[in-house]
Amino acid sequence: MPDLKTDVLVIGGGPAGSMTAKWAAKAGARVLLLEKRQEIGSPVRCGEGMSKDWLPEVGITPGRWINVEVEGARIFSPSEKVFEINEKHAGNEVGYVVERDEFDKQLAIDAANAGVEVKLKTAAVALLKDGGRIVGAKVKEFGQTYEVRAPVTIGADGFESQIGRWAGLPTNIAVRDMDTCLQYRMTNVDCDARYCDFFLGKVAPGGYVWVFPKADGLANVGIGVQVSQVENPADARTYLDRWIEHHPGYAKGKKIDMVGGGVSISPPLKQTVADGIMLVGDAARMIDPLTGGGIANGCIAGKICGTVAAEAVLSGDASKEFLQKYEKGWRVRLEEKLYRNWLAKEKLVTLSDATFDKIIDALSGVRLEKLSVHNILRAVRDKYPEVTKEFEAFL
Amino acid sequence: MASKKSLHIESSGQLCIYCGACVGICPLNCIYLDETRITFDEKVCTRCEICVKACPVGAIEID
Ligand SMILES: Cc1cc2nc3c(=O)[nH]c(=O)nc-3n(C[C@H](O)[C@H](O)[C@H](O)COP(=O)(O)OP(=O)(O)OC[C@H]3O[C@@H](n4cnc5c(N)ncnc54)[C@H](O)[C@@H]3O)c2cc1C
Ligand code: SF4
Ligand code: SF4
Repeated sequence: MPDLKTDVLVIGGGPAGSMTAKWAAKAGARVLLLEKRQEIGSPVRCGEGMSKDWLPEVGITPGRWINVEVEGARIFSPSEKVFEINEKHAGNEVGYVVERDEFDKQLAIDAANAGVEVKLKTAAVALLKDGGRIVGAKVKEFGQTYEVRAPVTIGADGFESQIGRWAGLPTNIAVRDMDTCLQYRMTNVDCDARYCDFFLGKVAPGGYVWVFPKADGLANVGIGVQVSQVENPADARTYLDRWIEHHPGYAKGKKIDMVGGGVSISPPLKQTVADGIMLVGDAARMIDPLTGGGIANGCIAGKICGTVAAEAVLSGDASKEFLQKYEKGWRVRLEEKLYRNWLAKEKLVTLSDATFDKIIDALSGVRLEKLSVHNILRAVRDKYPEVTKEFEAFL
Repeated sequence: MASKKSLHIESSGQLCIYCGACVGICPLNCIYLDETRITFDEKVCTRCEICVKACPVGAIEID
């Protein structure tokens, strides 16, 4: 296989990679998108919940990837008091439950239609360096190794990201900043198809159990557990199985598939660009540390990343200084919320079941106009002033 | 190194679900996932056991 040249090399065909590729092509760059799997979007490693308000911003149109549209979310305390959030107030996670494989394929199709070349079964195996700068990657396509040279390379290779590490970017995460996840797709369960449900407390230390409804009586039933709170191997599975066992409406259900994975719940990275390279999506640890949702942030940052990549190519300057435009751009759009939600997560993981019960109990009786940490704490303070003492920093 | 404990990743698919959680967290980047093949660099690994905790299904053992 002869070596190749392109303007922008995007490594990883998940949502962040396809979005980046599409917007770089739309802005006039020649773009090559590499995906190591044989099929974009599959296997699915996702709860498939997402909000929808951000879709127009990045140019994603509704399609058959929408599986169900939910009305809201319900948060259950350990004693199963409920706080209902309607769609207008819900954070990153509510709106649609999607067919994630169809969604990822749709984004890749959009990229291809914008002029992006896509290669399947093609993995980046090393970065090409010229002095300190990254100038492309060594890739393996169907077992054949060759080089792709590009002034701008993008690491969109997901949670397992190697690209950032190869480039020397500080992407390592601490054990308290990761959740280990397991999910079953189940049939014949008694879930309410109008809601995405979240169960908090010791049922899932440092994380939560989720039930996201799908069409035809299916539901994604999963768990995330903070790695620093894992006591025994396979705790994620043990906790999830225990939760199901204790809920008759789910214990009677049948599992039809199982997925796992890691989710970063970290503060934003300090640096996501270097000479000739940018990181985006899970590879840049852009998952919301409170909700664990990463699709929206990956796509939003992807649009900025692709646009800046094309500008860098067209201006002949892919230096770290030029790429600050992306570094600044995604931070302006996402960083404050990521940081705030990381702080909130740091607090939430320390709460006892009794405290969760009080918080949810206080909220279940009120109507919040807007869902904000401030409004939540005010409502809790009215009923349980002693609980909000722990949260003074937020008030 | 004789003093190192032995780390075993069950990678034949009897336990491992190829989710990549261990790959993303390993501080030394010594686990690789190639769709349905896990490889592990014995020499680099410090036996910190972080991957053991990160694995949702208990497919990694250290003894
Ligand atoms: C169990 C679980 C449940 C989740 N649930 C939700 C949810 O309900 N809602 C939500 O918003 N988020 C959820 N997330 C997070 C969400 O899945 C991610 O944030 C999202 O997939 C990130 O997109 P990405 O494009 O950055 O990475 P990915 O989707 O991981 O895509 C990376 C791609 O890069 C490819 N790749 C990797 N290395 C290479 C290489 N060397 N060469 C070529 N290709 C490569 C991979 O094969 C993959 O296709 C969940 C995560 C997990 C693990
Ligand atoms: S024990 Fe530590 S160093 Fe060794 S593979 Fe696991 S996480 Fe990596
Ligand atoms: S975390 Fe466990 S199940 Fe997932 S890839 Fe690693 S060894 Fe396999």
